Amino acid sequence: MSSSEGERGPEGLETSSSATRPAVSSATRSADGPGPQAARPSKLGGILSLLASELRTLFRRRRTWAMLGALALIPILIAVAIRIAGDSPSGRGPAFLDRITQNGLFVGVTAIIVAIPLFLPLTIGVVAGDSIAGEASHGTLRYLLIAPAGRIRLLVVKYLAAAAFCAAATLTVVVVGTLIGWALFPIGPVTLLSGTEVSVGEGLLRFLMIAAYVTVSLLGLSAIGLFLSTLTTVPVGSMAATAIVAVVAQILGALPQLEWLHPWLFTRYWLDFADLLREPPVWDSFADNAVLQAGYIVVFGLLAAARFVTKDVLS
Amino acid sequence: MSVPSAGPSRKAVRWIPAVAVPIAIAVGVVVVPMQANAAVDLPDLTPKQLLEFAAASDVTTLSGTIEQTSELGLPDLSALKGDLAAPSTGGAGSAGAGLDDLLSLITTDHTAKVYVDGSNARLQVLDRLAERDVYASASGAWIYDSSAQAATHVVLPPDADLDALATAMQGEADAAKARLEAELGAALPTPEAMLDQALARLGDSTDVSVGTDSRVAGRDAYELVLEPGDPDTLVGEVSIAIDGENGVPLAASVTARGASEPAFSVAFTDIGYTAPDASVFAFTPPEGTDVTEQVIPVPTVAELEQWQAEGATGAATDHPAPPVTVHGEGWSAVVELEPAAAQGAPTGGAGAEASAMLDAITQPVAGGRLLSTSLVNVLFTDDGRVFAGAVSADRLAAAASER
Repeated sequence: MSSSEGERGPEGLETSSSATRPAVSSATRSADGPGPQAARPSKLGGILSLLASELRTLFRRRRTWAMLGALALIPILIAVAIRIAGDSPSGRGPAFLDRITQNGLFVGVTAIIVAIPLFLPLTIGVVAGDSIAGEASHGTLRYLLIAPAGRIRLLVVKYLAAAAFCAAATLTVVVVGTLIGWALFPIGPVTLLSGTEVSVGEGLLRFLMIAAYVTVSLLGLSAIGLFLSTLTTVPVGSMAATAIVAVVAQILGALPQLEWLHPWLFTRYWLDFADLLREPPVWDSFADNAVLQAGYIVVFGLLAAARFVTKDVLS
Repeated sequence: MSVPSAGPSRKAVRWIPAVAVPIAIAVGVVVVPMQANAAVDLPDLTPKQLLEFAAASDVTTLSGTIEQTSELGLPDLSALKGDLAAPSTGGAGSAGAGLDDLLSLITTDHTAKVYVDGSNARLQVLDRLAERDVYASASGAWIYDSSAQAATHVVLPPDADLDALATAMQGEADAAKARLEAELGAALPTPEAMLDQALARLGDSTDVSVGTDSRVAGRDAYELVLEPGDPDTLVGEVSIAIDGENGVPLAASVTARGASEPAFSVAFTDIGYTAPDASVFAFTPPEGTDVTEQVIPVPTVAELEQWQAEGATGAATDHPAPPVTVHGEGWSAVVELEPAAAQGAPTGGAGAEASAMLDAITQPVAGGRLLSTSLVNVLFTDDGRVFAGAVSADRLAAAASER
């Protein structure tokens, strides 16, 4: 990229240097300890205020609410369809579908199963893939860097915002599913996979744990999206690439010939959240999943950081 | 963070963590388990001592995770399974579903949890988004399938008097022992002597040895290796890992001749010997479950005595001969099923689908169709007989042409 500076013409060259110089000074200052500005008492405080403004921006966007609305439609469609068409024969369709008429609380879990392969990765792809590339394409990235915030810090804040969206998206599906199930079907003690029954309260707690599991499952994909987002200034490119990565990983995971690769795929434990619906709950997959996703966060976080700090910000 | 317009070498330096960390992770994943394995060194035992040690194991409580993997070289049957499962869920043919279950049990990998305390046991097969459970206790057993939402209750008849039966049997055994000792004019061999004999007999056909110590499920374990000497069998090696502390078998695997990876293996991935919580064994079928009651017939003491009387006088010979014939012996034995027994399983509407599936997973050979795996061959002859054994297809064909 640095060699291309000369070819960019006077404007590009100018913006490049004006965008990078403040970043340099801010990094030097933060390395020396708290800067002179009263508005930024500590590194952590800086990150928090930046995160707060980032979250405000994210959750004020109409696009974010449109995506959450689309996700909320999944459990609503499932519940209404079953309400109108009646019970489905046991064993057909996604798991738990045949339990909804007995217990409406299962709408949320069924909707999660439907949403995990495509819809959730798609929305994560939009948010994570847009994180850096979107700012670059709007020409706002250099202003973010002019503000006293290091590049790494901006990257961390962007990632945390994407993670917050993962949690919001998953909770939307589970909570809307539970509410619509509550409204349309009888509810009662939740029958777990082991054939034991737990109270409605514990059932809801388990569904919340499933939401947490699925959120953790999506963190690796968010890191990949963040990295892809630093590669380009065309947000659509990194959004599509992120969604495609998720689909490709699931296809690879379905091919028995590639069994050696399966433990390394970030989609490996995506559907194992049902381990939380056993009695006693099996936590192995939760732990394995967390370790795997942490590995993806470290690897792709470092890749994104390496790419972003060496990148010439031209817009 | 800082100067982005630095020279190419500075830029390269910034990529170092992004490259180094994945390498470190990969190295850690590969090297750490190898080191863990290398460190195991248990006191040396002969195969006989190891078998005695395992037999003397008195562990009655454990909980752990079992993993079963199979690389039998069968084609992937998931597509076929889908076809089979669809009609059978309509309630038409349970035989299709049974065959489907059986195939999935053999051909796919499973993870299961096992809980055992003194009087209860539970097997929990962890399927993706589903679960199958067996809860066994003194009062009977529950078999639960979450995807079918069906439970089967297996019980003994209420009037079964197991204690009296056990006493009667024990008395019979003592009497038989006394008769035998009188005939032989000497005391019957001790268990140790019998183990010697068994090992000696096994030694003719099988090479029994103690392999390298290793770590299984986080425990130091001995390895008992059985290698068939019979050149006709497909089995190359059977390996059993035995806990070095208390003699509990932790893993078993069967490797086909010439293969490097086991064709079939069952192993604990973690195990603990404390008694599991009692709530683990509790089961009452939830609402909306299809419950099937099944009573296992248990003979009373009087019936047992009557059978023995019949057996002594030879009156019980009108029982139909078992439709199973065994050709050969040892590792290269071939089992033959008569047409009646072989066709017993798939009946009714599911029969056509089952035979379609058989066509898909078998290949035509002279005189029938062959299901070939790395460990076991099964020959379905055109006249309806079935031959199975851990031997080559040629041996099966030879056994089939004997008659």
